[in-house]
Amino acid sequence: MKIYQNSNEPIYKQIASQLREQILTGKLKSGDPLPSIRMLAQDLKISVITTMKAYEELSAEGLVTASKGKGYYVNAKDEKMIAEQHMCQLEEHLTNAIYSARIAGLDYNEVCETLRALWDIED
Amino acid sequence: MDTALNIKDITKKYKDFTLGGIDIEIPMGFSSALIGANGAGKTTLIDIICGVTANDAGTMEYFGKYTDNDRSELRNMIGYCSSANYFPMDWNLKKVAEVMDVAFDNFDRKKFSELCDKFKLGDPSGKKQKKLMKMSDGNRMRTYLAAVLARDTSLLVLDEPASSLDPLARDLLCDMFRDYLAEKDGERTVIFSTHNIADMEFVTDHAIFMAGGKVIEKGFVEDLKEKYILVHGDASVSEKAVPYLLSSTSNKTSFEGIALAEDAEKLAALDTAIEQPTLQQLSIGILRKAEQDYEEK
Repeated sequence: MKIYQNSNEPIYKQIASQLREQILTGKLKSGDPLPSIRMLAQDLKISVITTMKAYEELSAEGLVTASKGKGYYVNAKDEKMIAEQHMCQLEEHLTNAIYSARIAGLDYNEVCETLRALWDIED
Repeated sequence: MDTALNIKDITKKYKDFTLGGIDIEIPMGFSSALIGANGAGKTTLIDIICGVTANDAGTMEYFGKYTDNDRSELRNMIGYCSSANYFPMDWNLKKVAEVMDVAFDNFDRKKFSELCDKFKLGDPSGKKQKKLMKMSDGNRMRTYLAAVLARDTSLLVLDEPASSLDPLARDLLCDMFRDYLAEKDGERTVIFSTHNIADMEFVTDHAIFMAGGKVIEKGFVEDLKEKYILVHGDASVSEKAVPYLLSSTSNKTSFEGIALAEDAEKLAALDTAIEQPTLQQLSIGILRKAEQDYEEK
């Protein structure tokens, strides 16, 4: 795991997003334990409260569950929820694209053409 | 979340200083920092917590079951390290190890040797021994820290542990705090005081700000960082911004200060730069507010 200590993005968000990616891509599997909040703090040389806040964020998203006295575990893969997470990301990126299109003075059809061209390249 | 130490309405009166009405809950499993200027009452509070100084009023509950009358149990559970000379000056590492071994049930001589090695103090069982009085301030503090960390305790209470240490030793101290907390996940607690929080930022979970013998702000660091914002701006909008700032400094070019996050939009409308404060910036803002309030009185 890699974190920027002097970034504008709070450290807990950096940790949460890296763990989220590992869960969504299946690198961390259902039932896998997350490192204890104090172990992770020790390894990353940061405060315990920061790692705890990262885990709480993932827990609020339903990706992990806190088991009393035993730490945090990755939840069973909920396909619907993962699809939702990806949908959220898609919407966020498209919103950014619309914003850029407006600045560049492109209309809806021109944006669709660009999307189609990019889609073909990816395929 | 469990509470390691519940402090209620602790008061101590001196001729020229009063520590007044202190209410704090120290969360178990975390590291709490007492932050304040010199003379804020940090040491008095620490000495009361450790039973070195008697309080005039108020109660303390330790680990949910002990009170300040249970000193014999607490003695073995609390590792206390004062900023004043903790051991007689003619002692050396060997003598420290011998006395600590007799004085406490949970002193681990092997661990003490390892810690002395980590702190580059030498070998407590070696032939050549240096007396504490011949050591630098930093090495003396390292000796106290090695002695207290070699005990298997539930609570560490350290008064200004970092102030006499060089940057590398401070970094090592932070690692040791995290090791201590991680070793018994969630069962151990650290309380330390400091007037220079910058070096301890990444080992502080919970902060208690003190000024003039009172607690002026407290909370988990991640919550406090969201409660307050750091504001910078051009001097031309300083006058309009000041009503929203809790404390600030300014010159003919620019101003800076802290404000409540709920006022972020109003301040942003004045074309100011708004950031999340570091604990250091937050401390300066909060302590400056206390100083400005005091001067207004």
